Amino acid sequence: MLKKRLVGVITVRGGWAVQSFGYRRWLPLGRPEVLAQNLDRWGVDEILVQAVDRSASRAGPDFELLDRLGRIGLSSPLIYGGGIASVSDAARVVQSAADRVVVDALMHDDAEEVRRISGHLGAQAVIGALPLAVHEGGLRWLDHRTGREGELRPAIVELFRLGIASEALVIDWRHEGSAGAFDERLLESFPVPEVPLIAFGGLSEARQIRSVLGSARVAAAAIGNFLNYSEHAVQRYRQQLAGVPVRPATFSSAGQP
Amino acid sequence: MKTRRTVGIVDYGVGNHVSVWRAMHALGYRCRVTEEPAVLDGTDVILLPGVGAFPPAMRAIESKGLVEYLRSQARSGKPFLGICLGMQLMADASSEFGITAGLGLIPGRVEPLRQAAWHIGWNTFEAVGGDSLLRRIDGQSVYFNHSFVFDAPSEYCVGVARLERPFCVAVRRDNVVGLQFHPEKSQAAGRQALRSVIDGLCDA
Repeated sequence: MLKKRLVGVITVRGGWAVQSFGYRRWLPLGRPEVLAQNLDRWGVDEILVQAVDRSASRAGPDFELLDRLGRIGLSSPLIYGGGIASVSDAARVVQSAADRVVVDALMHDDAEEVRRISGHLGAQAVIGALPLAVHEGGLRWLDHRTGREGELRPAIVELFRLGIASEALVIDWRHEGSAGAFDERLLESFPVPEVPLIAFGGLSEARQIRSVLGSARVAAAAIGNFLNYSEHAVQRYRQQLAGVPVRPATFSSAGQP
Repeated sequence: MKTRRTVGIVDYGVGNHVSVWRAMHALGYRCRVTEEPAVLDGTDVILLPGVGAFPPAMRAIESKGLVEYLRSQARSGKPFLGICLGMQLMADASSEFGITAGLGLIPGRVEPLRQAAWHIGWNTFEAVGGDSLLRRIDGQSVYFNHSFVFDAPSEYCVGVARLERPFCVAVRRDNVVGLQFHPEKSQAAGRQALRSVIDGLCDA
C-alpha cells in the first residue's frame, strides 16, 4: 500500500537554515546539511530543501549547498527548490544531489520552461509550489519576490491538469511558522482534483496532520520548524497518527541495515 | 581476509550517481564511476543507475558505445544490477515517448503504469517467486518515483508492489537483477536490499 508521507522542510536563506514565520521573519537555525543529516537519521519520508532567496536575487540554484548535501550521502529522498530557472538548472540539481525539483517563481515567469523541465526529467521529478491564500472564497497566488497576490492563472492550472508537474506543494504562506494554523480550505479549493497535494505551512499538531492526510487529495504533509525542535519528532508524529497510512514509527537508526 | 568488492557504476551522463556511490560506500563497497569498459572490467558488479525518460537514456548509452558491452557483461554471468530507470533499460523495449529498443537483458516491455499517473513515495515491497535475494526486505516499505513499469513475464518477476493491483517492481534473470525502487533512498530497507542483491549475486 502506498503510504502518505511526512516531509521534513528545511528553509534556507543566505545559505543558512532558518526558522521561518510566514516568510517574513527569520531566525537562524544553523547549517542546512546538519539539519538534513538529522532528518535523514530520524527517518523522515522525504527532505525538502527550499532556498527561498535564490529566485528573487537571480542567484540560480545553490549548487554549493547541493554539493554539501550530496557529500552527506543521504539515505532519504531529497527534494530541492530555489532559483531553478531552466532545464539545465534542473538537470544539474538532479545530477548534484536531488531526486526531485520544486519550481515556484518559474511558474510565474515561464510556464513553457516548466514543461521542458518535465519533459527532460519526467513529471514524477517535478513539483509545482504554490504559495496560496483563501480570499473572498477564492484562491490567491503569491509571487514571493514581489509580495503581490493574484489569481491562479489558467495556464498554471493547465500545467497541473496536463500532468506536467506530478504534485502540487500547497503552501499556506500566511500561516507558515504558526502552530496548528494550516488553512485546510486551500486543499478543498485547489482546482485540479486529480493532482496529489503536499500540504505545507502551519502544520504542527498531530490532530491537524491527521485531518490533512485524511483527505484523498493529499499525498503528503510537509513540516518545517516543528520537526527541528526535538529529536525523533517525526517518529512521534507517526505514533500519534495510528490508523493513518503512514510508515510505522521506528526509533532505530535509519542509516544502517 | 575477505577482499572488499568493487561496484562499477555505469556513468552514461544521466541521473544522480552521487547518491548511489555514497550508499555503496556506506555499505563498505569500493566504487568506480565510469563509462570506460576497461575500468568496468575490473569490477565485481556492474550497476546501471538512471533517472528520467527511457529514450534519452538509451541514446546516451548508445552514444557512449556501451550497448554491446553491457549486453556482453550480462551474458558473461557477471553480477549486474539496474536501479529505477536502469532496471527499465534492461527490458526489450519501452513505449515511453514512442517505441524505443532497450538492452534486452530480461524479457519484457516498459509500459505506462495505468493504475495511476505516477507511483511516488513509500510502498510495501512483496517478494514473489521464491527468490532468496530480496526476501530480507519482504514486507518493508521502499521509495518509488516512476510512472512506467517493467511488464515482465511472471518467471522473471521477483517482487511486486500494489496500488489497486500488484505490478512488478523487481526482476531477475540469473545474474541480472533490476529494482524499480530507489534502494539508495530507501533508508535501512534499501541498504538491506543492496547488500543482499550484491553479495547474493557475487556469492552465487
